[in-house]
Amino acid sequence: MRATLPAAHPGGDERGRAPEGDDAGGDADAHRQDARGGDDVHGDGDRDQGPQPGAGAGRGGGGDGHGGSSGRVSGSGSTLRLRVPVLHPACCPPQVQQAALLAPSPHQAPPAAPRSAYGRGVTPPERAPAAARGPVAVLRSARDGLLRSAGALGTGGRALLLLLGCALVAALCVVGVGLLLVPAAVRALRRLTDAERARLRRWGADLPPAGPAPAGLRPGVAAVVPREVAWLLVHAGAGLLCGLVGVLLPVYAVRDLTFPLWWTLVPVADASPWWWAVRDAADAREVALLGLLWAVLTLTAVPALGRLPGTWGRWLLAPPPGTDLTLRVAELTASRAAALDAHVVELRRIERSLHDGAQNRLVGVTVLLGAARRSLARDPAVTDDLLEQAQSAAEQALAELRSVVRAILPPVLLDRGLAGAVSGLAAACPVPCRVEVDVGGRLPASVEATAYFVVAEGLTNVARHSGAGAAQLSLRRRGDQLVVRLVDDGRGGADPADGSGLAGVEHRVRAHDGRLELRSPPGGPTELEVVLPCGS
Amino acid sequence: MRIVIGEDDALLREGLTLLLRAEGLDVVATAGDPDDLLAALDEHRPDVAIVDVRMPPTHTDEGIRAAVEGRRRRPELAVLVLSAYVEQAFATDLLAGGAHGLGYLLKERVGRVGEFLDALHRVAAGGTAVDPEVVAQLLTRTRPDAGLDRLSAREREVLELMAEGLGNSAIAARLVVTEGAVHKHIRSIFAKLDLAPADNVDRRVVAVLRWLRTADGR
Repeated sequence: MRATLPAAHPGGDERGRAPEGDDAGGDADAHRQDARGGDDVHGDGDRDQGPQPGAGAGRGGGGDGHGGSSGRVSGSGSTLRLRVPVLHPACCPPQVQQAALLAPSPHQAPPAAPRSAYGRGVTPPERAPAAARGPVAVLRSARDGLLRSAGALGTGGRALLLLLGCALVAALCVVGVGLLLVPAAVRALRRLTDAERARLRRWGADLPPAGPAPAGLRPGVAAVVPREVAWLLVHAGAGLLCGLVGVLLPVYAVRDLTFPLWWTLVPVADASPWWWAVRDAADAREVALLGLLWAVLTLTAVPALGRLPGTWGRWLLAPPPGTDLTLRVAELTASRAAALDAHVVELRRIERSLHDGAQNRLVGVTVLLGAARRSLARDPAVTDDLLEQAQSAAEQALAELRSVVRAILPPVLLDRGLAGAVSGLAAACPVPCRVEVDVGGRLPASVEATAYFVVAEGLTNVARHSGAGAAQLSLRRRGDQLVVRLVDDGRGGADPADGSGLAGVEHRVRAHDGRLELRSPPGGPTELEVVLPCGS
Repeated sequence: MRIVIGEDDALLREGLTLLLRAEGLDVVATAGDPDDLLAALDEHRPDVAIVDVRMPPTHTDEGIRAAVEGRRRRPELAVLVLSAYVEQAFATDLLAGGAHGLGYLLKERVGRVGEFLDALHRVAAGGTAVDPEVVAQLLTRTRPDAGLDRLSAREREVLELMAEGLGNSAIAARLVVTEGAVHKHIRSIFAKLDLAPADNVDRRVVAVLRWLRTADGR
């Protein structure tokens, strides 16, 4: 479950700074981000960037897309996404997250070890962000810890139920009937472990899905790895506990910290959140004190609690070395073929735009110049007119060439980096779009280019097809992956098969060994998530 | 001379129309896609159709196919094909059905208005016009042992101009020699290439191109 909250609500301002309004905050954000990007997003330098390269045949229109919408770019966390229905009091105010942008990216410590060598069986644990990196890092890791705990709570609960079910099946096996239920139990176990693998993948682990277990008693049992059973035992107990504590701590922190408020507003005879009864304001303050303890624990212990189930998950759910290599080879072969395909498609597109654009314009120039020369003797007045037309055709040719060059590799990407480049795209998008970029320094050029095209194409779709009133774009580094998310509140129903350019994006992403997820139910909202590996 | 233009790029279409009208030629209709082009050919029955190779919807060879269809409906229609680049396959496809009243030029030749008009008139009169670039490509892609290396440099020049569709007097003017000298070179070329000499310009071009095509190994 996800809730999207504007963070600039008064309660989120814990540092005594005046809360900035949404728009004001957005402007300030944009400018601060500019400072980081080394240039002004709205400066002239960006205005001549013209049409978006990803917009395919977008021609002309250079510099017209910055109208009233440019002020809507916000640099960073004007929003906070929570995946559990708990309103965390530590909603990061925009200015706090802003500090993260200006600071040398506290959250994004480089991975402790290089991208796991597949087949080794174990993926390296993520390095915990150091607690001493400032309040933003602490808040963010607490939030991540909470999200992880919620996930662990979910799979832990299912693990416990499944464990009980397995015990029942085992008991029935004694009388023989249980044998019929073993395949179902095996399939359920595989479904659960794959769910956990998917969950850990979302947090940057290299855990490819094992796929559904085969039907039938013998192959089914053979398919189950003993380590998956071990995981079930551990996760049903320790995982569930971690998840429970990780989720309850922040809930208690909120409840108890705000307890004096409730107690004053809604006087109840013997209100008591814990083992003692609250009779006066002093008692209520004690509860609040306890809440403070929970809050401290939330900030310090919850991140570790959230990561804990991942440690045995990575250890026990990693695929056996042999099968994994085979799978990986197949994957890489496919992504290599996709890369070659994408390359040819790209060349074709460039050829087409050169032919239809610059080349035709230049032919027009020669025709007009030829006509002008012929008319020189006959009618000099016409000559001037023809030369005028020839000149404007030559200028158009130059514009076309610029847009083709941009489409090959946008110079803005080189100059400003990914953050500046996508902010420029968002500023040019007619749909107001909030931008949140936290990628920590430069990424490999191919990753930046792919991410840029994903964003360009995504925003083009938002502008053309979604009918959305607002969109949110975020680019984050998660372990050794870059995660691009674009959410809009439009009518949904997007489908890569309908020629909206998403198929091309998917192709490109697959070529980079990344993956693309599109959730776009009819009626919206549309959510595009692209994960690109950016390790070497 | 009544002309129909089939060209999908609006600027180029207008430019061509402007140019030809300024030269006193009668552009009776223009079309941006193959269907319009065929309709205009049926309606106006022009002497010449100037056709772009790439046209909607797929922008591959719709123009050529429309031209071929137009010729099928009215064999006396002269067609001058304009192309953004040299594609030997287009040239040979076009010429396979007979070079009578056919031309294949790069688009930028239009800017050399004098030569373009020459080619246009030649095609309209039932002659042939092949772009020098096409000829050069055909010649360079020919296998070296196919007999061309027996030609002298001058004979090669003459052969190229012949392949462009020029007549003897035009070749003589281009090379600044007498017509008699050109005649001698041509006889020598045909002798070296084992081709029977003929006075008809079309048959010369067809013979040259056909020989080049077979020499190309196809």
